[in-house]
Amino acid sequence: MTHHHKTRTIAKDGQLLLQKMETDQVETVWDRHDAQQPQCGFCEMGVSCRICVMGPCRIDPFGEGPQQGVCGADADIIVARNLCRMIAAGAAAHSDHGRDLVDVLASVAENSAPGYEIRDTEKLCKVAAEYGIDTQGRQPAEVAGDLAYALQEEYGTRKKELSMAGRAPEKRRDLWRKLNIMPRGIDRETSEAMHRTHMGVDNGWQSLMLHSLRNALSDGWGGSMIATEVSDILFGTPKPTPTKVNTGVLKSDQVNVVVHGHNPVVSEMVMAAAQDPEMIQFAESRGAKGINLCGLCCTGNELLMRHGIPMAGNHLMTELVIATGAVDMMIVDYQCIMPSLGHVASCYHTEMISTSDKARFPGMQHMEFHPDNARKMAYDVVKRAVENYANRGSVYIPVESVDAVGGFSVEAVINALGGAPDPLLDALKAGKIRGAAGIVGCNNPKIKHDYGHVTLTKRLIENDILVLDTGCAAVANAKAGFKISDAISHAGPGLKEVCGSLGIPPVLHFGSCVDNVRILVLAAALADALGTDISDLPLAGAAPEWYSEKAVSIGAYVVASGIYTVLGPMPPIAGSMNVVDLLTRGLQGVVGATFAVEPDPEKAAGLIQSHIENQRGNLGLDVKNA
Amino acid sequence: MKQVIVHPERCVGCMQCMLACAAAHSKTGSLFTAIAETPKPRPRIHVGAGLYDEGFPNRCRHCDPAPCQMACLPGAIYRHSRTNTVLIDPDVCINCASCAMACPYGVIRYHADPLAPAGKTVAVKCDNCVARQHRGQIPACVEICKVGALTFEERDRAMKRRTEEVARSATADAAPPEQAPGFSLLHTVKKARTEINLAR
Repeated sequence: MTHHHKTRTIAKDGQLLLQKMETDQVETVWDRHDAQQPQCGFCEMGVSCRICVMGPCRIDPFGEGPQQGVCGADADIIVARNLCRMIAAGAAAHSDHGRDLVDVLASVAENSAPGYEIRDTEKLCKVAAEYGIDTQGRQPAEVAGDLAYALQEEYGTRKKELSMAGRAPEKRRDLWRKLNIMPRGIDRETSEAMHRTHMGVDNGWQSLMLHSLRNALSDGWGGSMIATEVSDILFGTPKPTPTKVNTGVLKSDQVNVVVHGHNPVVSEMVMAAAQDPEMIQFAESRGAKGINLCGLCCTGNELLMRHGIPMAGNHLMTELVIATGAVDMMIVDYQCIMPSLGHVASCYHTEMISTSDKARFPGMQHMEFHPDNARKMAYDVVKRAVENYANRGSVYIPVESVDAVGGFSVEAVINALGGAPDPLLDALKAGKIRGAAGIVGCNNPKIKHDYGHVTLTKRLIENDILVLDTGCAAVANAKAGFKISDAISHAGPGLKEVCGSLGIPPVLHFGSCVDNVRILVLAAALADALGTDISDLPLAGAAPEWYSEKAVSIGAYVVASGIYTVLGPMPPIAGSMNVVDLLTRGLQGVVGATFAVEPDPEKAAGLIQSHIENQRGNLGLDVKNA
Repeated sequence: MKQVIVHPERCVGCMQCMLACAAAHSKTGSLFTAIAETPKPRPRIHVGAGLYDEGFPNRCRHCDPAPCQMACLPGAIYRHSRTNTVLIDPDVCINCASCAMACPYGVIRYHADPLAPAGKTVAVKCDNCVARQHRGQIPACVEICKVGALTFEERDRAMKRRTEEVARSATADAAPPEQAPGFSLLHTVKKARTEINLAR
């Protein structure tokens, strides 16, 4: 194998499939990234502005050329406006995903979504109670109808504060009110972000950044939180479940159906169809030994968390998986689906199906799923997948799959702790666990695939820091073997002892990228138990390989919630040292947490360790010199 | 005599010079109409990526003596003395690529060009925008560059400026001049990223 592939990914299956794609002469995301070099420095620094047509404008970072856009906006304003719009887009994506789940919930209440049902009535009643909805002696469907209506109101402009934000510790909520960044309506904050960043509106880079935080909070304590909670209500709250990961989960003798995207609304129905004995019999009649459903990215995480459906890979594996020649069908919904996939699939036999009325892709068949037809559509597409099995050419599945355990919802964690967070708090106080870090986010060809996630995770658990992960980070860590109970052999002595006695891995799979809110809920529970604020806890966040606007929104709501966050790639802010300074230092005095940027995961681990020890010191707990 | 001078340490890799160059060497002269022309005009300046994916604007140095000119058997390459520009006569060029083999900087390309006989593939490279200069304009790549990576000035003047920079930095207790902290930060991150990816 050429050295070339090893600089692109640490995943063995990734390296081998890159080799195959080179032989097959199929272009990948890395080739396209190379072809884009050098990337535009104005854009990388955030000092190009395309907001109005007096422009486009750019600021000369060396100070000799233009220092203001046509409208007079300087580098600070341009950088702040651009970042605000990135966050608005990210918050919109998560929140619209949440809205689609609320639509399904409303349809279930109206009995117009055959195949969907309320699977977790306990959670339905718990969330309904938060909205003051009466649950006593009422049918789940009735409660669901009222809850769907109440959740739809969270998206509007009728409220002064999002109800879900009530889950944050009181001190945090007071701080948000004082700063005037308490989120009021999910769509309202995104809409206001677009208004503020229009030419001639908000030209205070500080006030733009504050609104960006409010917009992000409307995602974290709004849209994403609704997405997670309604998914649990409709499809079940996750419990620890064994699963398998990497491209070795594809089966050479079965019909392989891969779901890719984010929303469980589609993938859950596909799963039901793929598991129907009649469909399996149909597959057998076509010479296959069964139907093997696998996931990619976050919709894969949704199925992995709730049903242990195996996971074929994360973001940068999505083209490579097709190159196995083993994927009979890939079904996508939305977000993070590279428009190149249809082209890659055209080089193999894979049928590509797009399902969302919001998302079309070149080279894909569009078969639109809606709550009322999803069950039927799922059977139609799975049948097509079975029919496509006969068209397979040669198959190359380069590795054996790896075992993992997923399914750590907050409820599952509390359950594993024996019903209350106290054992975790005791372990933190005793210093056996130094703290916890959420490692989240994407892959990015700028960072060697999976290297950032795996290296950072390894260093943290070695140093007795519990890792909670989601999204593509969670898939990377599962592939690295960190998610079986035996993985405590990688952990430091304290973490090893605690996880060993609880029978849990040192790295807990918390779900998809909207499920980062599970980390917020757990953090809030810990803060409440200690009678303090989230920003006082020995916690940190990291996004070692992030790429998307959604990740910027996540980072911003995590920091605005009081958690120090280390980013791998740098956001486009270097053009304004004022914005850089605010995000990496100034926010400490505002929301009690900051961002840091560190592309080297070894160094990022050091930053997180010293932050956690520092937080421990402030809480009066013992401190170890990192 | 003014010349185009490249300051690669200032290049942010935006590739605007490539667009402006192609448009300047089109039949219609504007970017929006140039993209619809056949053959499509192509840039004569090329931004390459350095080791850390930083930009590097690569254009003809108009060497004197010019290796391409010496290698050109039909004699298509000549020097325009008023602007000290090495030019290629597309009518005489036989597309033999001898000039490319001789060029130390890889700045020559071969394609049909709006300014060459129709349908003929010829050697094409930077002409210092002699036509624009004749109209009193500066070269298109310099005009579009907003970061000062390309300047159009007397070579000695640019060198004198550099002498002064070097002299100031040589002062015993001089702090390093930090003109653009954001750009340095970006470069630091890109360098770190590349080194991490190449390691192990």
